[in-house]
Amino acid sequence: MSDVQNTLRDRVRSLLAEGKISCFIGWGPTRFKDRTIPKFANKPEDAGELVYNEHCLSNLAKYALDFQFSAEVAGIAVRGCESRAINRLIADGRLTRSKLYLVGIPCEGMLENGSTAEKCAFCRHRNPVVYDELIGEPVAEQENPPRFEQVLELESASSEDRYDFWQREFAKCIRCYACRNACPACNCMECYTEQYRTGWQGKQANTLENSVFGFTRAYHIGDRCIECGECERVCPMGIPLMKLNRKLVKDVESLFGSEESGLSDDASHALGCYDKEDLEEFM
Amino acid sequence: MARTGVIICHCGSNIASVVDVERVALAAGQMPGVTYAATNKYTCSISGQDMIKQAIAEHELDRLVIASCTPRMHETTFRKMLTKTSINPYMLEIANIREQCSWVHTDKEKATEKAIDLVHMAVAKVLKDQPLFTSSIPVHKKCLVVGGGIAGIQAALDVAEAGYEVTLVEREPSIGGKMVMLDKTFPTLDCSACISTPKMAEAGAHPNIRLMTSCEISAVTGYIGNFQVTIRQKPRYVNHDTCTGCGLCEEKCPTKVTNLFDQSLSKRKAIYKLFPQAVPAKPVIDSEHCTMLKSGKCGLCSKLCPLGCINFEDQEDFITETFGAIVLATGYDLIDWAKAYPEYGGGKYANVISGLQFERLVNASGPTEGHIQRPGDGAEPKTVVIVKCVGSRDPAKAKAYCSRACCMYAAKHAHQILEKIEGSKVYVFYIDVRTPGKGYEEFYDKTRADGAVYIRGRVSKIYEEGGKLICKGEDTLIGKQVAVEADMVVLETAMEPAHGSTETAATAGVSADKDGWLTEAHPKLRPVETQTAGVYLCGTAQGPKDIPDTVAQASAAAAKVLGLLAKDELETSPMISVVDAPKCSGCGFCEQVCPVKAISMVDVPSMYNGKRVTRTVAQVNSGLCSGCGACSAACRTGCIDLLGFTNKQILEEVDALWQE
Ligand SMILES: Cc1cc2nc3c(=O)[nH]c(=O)nc-3n(C[C@H](O)[C@H](O)[C@H](O)COP(=O)(O)OP(=O)(O)OC[C@H]3O[C@@H](n4cnc5c(N)ncnc54)[C@H](O)[C@@H]3O)c2cc1C
Ligand code: SF4
Repeated sequence: MSDVQNTLRDRVRSLLAEGKISCFIGWGPTRFKDRTIPKFANKPEDAGELVYNEHCLSNLAKYALDFQFSAEVAGIAVRGCESRAINRLIADGRLTRSKLYLVGIPCEGMLENGSTAEKCAFCRHRNPVVYDELIGEPVAEQENPPRFEQVLELESASSEDRYDFWQREFAKCIRCYACRNACPACNCMECYTEQYRTGWQGKQANTLENSVFGFTRAYHIGDRCIECGECERVCPMGIPLMKLNRKLVKDVESLFGSEESGLSDDASHALGCYDKEDLEEFM
Repeated sequence: MARTGVIICHCGSNIASVVDVERVALAAGQMPGVTYAATNKYTCSISGQDMIKQAIAEHELDRLVIASCTPRMHETTFRKMLTKTSINPYMLEIANIREQCSWVHTDKEKATEKAIDLVHMAVAKVLKDQPLFTSSIPVHKKCLVVGGGIAGIQAALDVAEAGYEVTLVEREPSIGGKMVMLDKTFPTLDCSACISTPKMAEAGAHPNIRLMTSCEISAVTGYIGNFQVTIRQKPRYVNHDTCTGCGLCEEKCPTKVTNLFDQSLSKRKAIYKLFPQAVPAKPVIDSEHCTMLKSGKCGLCSKLCPLGCINFEDQEDFITETFGAIVLATGYDLIDWAKAYPEYGGGKYANVISGLQFERLVNASGPTEGHIQRPGDGAEPKTVVIVKCVGSRDPAKAKAYCSRACCMYAAKHAHQILEKIEGSKVYVFYIDVRTPGKGYEEFYDKTRADGAVYIRGRVSKIYEEGGKLICKGEDTLIGKQVAVEADMVVLETAMEPAHGSTETAATAGVSADKDGWLTEAHPKLRPVETQTAGVYLCGTAQGPKDIPDTVAQASAAAAKVLGLLAKDELETSPMISVVDAPKCSGCGFCEQVCPVKAISMVDVPSMYNGKRVTRTVAQVNSGLCSGCGACSAACRTGCIDLLGFTNKQILEEVDALWQE
């Protein structure tokens, strides 16, 4: 990994020096050995502060939105998850591919509290799906990680039990919106939760309003979730949000036969298109 | 304070026999904002409407709820009525207590409670109603007809005759379609060319019709009354402005090419007219086969042409014009039977031919000058087998539908063989004989009386043996295998939509069914309209049919076009989507879900984080939007609202429902 870190620093230094990019989004150090934070390198000399190790947990893609209206090209480190998130943001009209310089890094999973991070356990795309240059060699993909295992388990419960389960979970929510802020698919300019008196979404943190928020968010990203697991990772209350998201991903995949989201920046979505041939079993 | 009026309609006994309308009116009187509530026997009648107008004036009502039949029935009636009052026509809500209540329930108590709930919802919604105003768009009084078969010709002539300009676009070098290929037409057996070529000539010479042959439409934008259509003129390599159609070039051209108009039964030249009576009666060069265009050798026609009309440098050209209405008449093709039916020889027997090939063989202007001769050896066939439903009603191999015209033209073919070849025998294999048409059953009866033998069953195999074609099949009426030795076999093959017609239709915003036939707006009540206002269809483009039905539909489509072009302006519904641009993220979901392509993404100047930026946001074309609301439901930010059905209004209804 230190090789990757060194190459990354070298490359970013020259990209900035050559003026190819105006800024680079990567990871930087913290006071703690096993923690990193997103780091913005603006000058060639900043490159030396970039870090790449097994503690680079944050998905950086959403920080690219800071440069959405910039005239210059922004550079960003992309692993499998970031690359799919970037595709997601391009497909949703929030980023422009030509204004991004993607430095790909194959990734074998990150550590969280000493063991493989939950969000990396089910990863199916350790290698970036899109990049301008790649640092290091492509790594082997995990073969069929049981990404729907938890969903199947939940599906086997009765609807009352499932309802109770989610009510209990959402009772914990403090409406900090960390999940939404971290999510690459939650990229609206103005989230509906921010709007004043929509009528259907109260801002109070109580079980009902929290679950309306939780379920609505899940529906909003249902066919666009890239399964990066950031929402669940950043939730301070430990709500198992990926169980909900993967349930929708699984349903969308089985009902519409669509492929995983974020593999390309093509803007066709299972739930966002009009097709005369669509199933209308419910009508 | 709102002053809502609520009218509960009896609809005679339709509603009143199940719903206690008086009780509903009493309950409505107690609902928030309601100033006046009453019942009426027939609200839609003149006296019913007068009563409402009076109540509006007397009680100074500012909005109205009518609990009656479905809004599809009388919403327009009541809106019109409101234009004569002080209330804006869009300050109206209809609670459907007939189709959604009295007609579907028998328990009077529960039905009455439900009716009260429905009224409650409408009363809640009407409080959030806003006055809306229609606007108008001018109508461009010009019609485009796509496809120059008999359907397109008829529609064009009807519209032109009424005094409007028509552009008739045909992709072949001549108009005429399939009808000019036919010999005689059932059931009257009048000569097809004799009745269709005068129409072609009329269309060609009509001062109001502009013929555009060798043309296709490549793009359509705009909306009813104002379609901008881009037409692609394919290169013809012959200047039709100067060409007199003398025919010298065609005569002298050394390159011979399979003649598809004759269904591959003859040859034509590389510079050619589609057929002798072609309109326009001028040749074009087939670039695929012309040796000059392919390899720069020859150029004979150019040397011979006395007027210098040949231009090997001709390029395709794009012309954009505005039309108020579009008629799609793209017609049909026959299926490629050889692929679907290898058991019939898959095309390897020269004497197994299609119905259209037979039409050319029996046609006086065809390759054999009307003598029925086997393509294989030119001999006159004595025994002919006709197989019906080849590819029709056969979902396993080809099409599930019936091609509708074949029963009759099979009888016609049988009749023609028996008439032209003395001592001939004709066997017709059939599944059913369908003759619903004036004089059709009589024609079929006569054919059988003439001697045609009808065998009920499908042919399972055709093979050659000793110079004969053996047709094996089951006679299902006697339950026995039969084998007929034939000299020639005519396959009456299924129709399918003309190749490329679904793409052409999609360009004009018209969809096709699973088989590719263009979809009408309503199969019974709006048969020649489409889901896209201002675009009509007719003829076999919509589904298999014969000439009488094709022509009837063409005239019907023309009538619809005339109804539109007769107007100077069109009123547009104000119940359309609006975008709250500052909230829009520009994700484009709405653009993708809109079935009528009313949404486009546009760049607008905007402020973001204290900076001037250019952002992409959704924009609704008010002329195109049909008000379906799909976009509004798809928008995550909630920045698209459908006027008349705003999120607020719908929420009020939902809230009213759970409030006791
Ligand atoms: C063997 C046979 C015998 C028949 N005999 C009889 C009979 O005796 N009596 C009877 O009533 N009916 C008969 N029919 C049926 C008859 O042929 C049709 O009902 C009629 O021709 C349909 O006319 P149309 O204008 O709808 O289609 P078409 O004749 O197919 O005309 C469509 C035209 O549109 C053009 N076109 C297609 N796509 C495009 C495009 N994208 N852009 C521009 N132009 C396009 C085509 O080139 C064509 O000229 C017979 C059919 C067959 C196959
Ligand atoms: S309401 Fe329907 S037609 Fe109008 S813009 Fe929205 S989706 Fe399109």
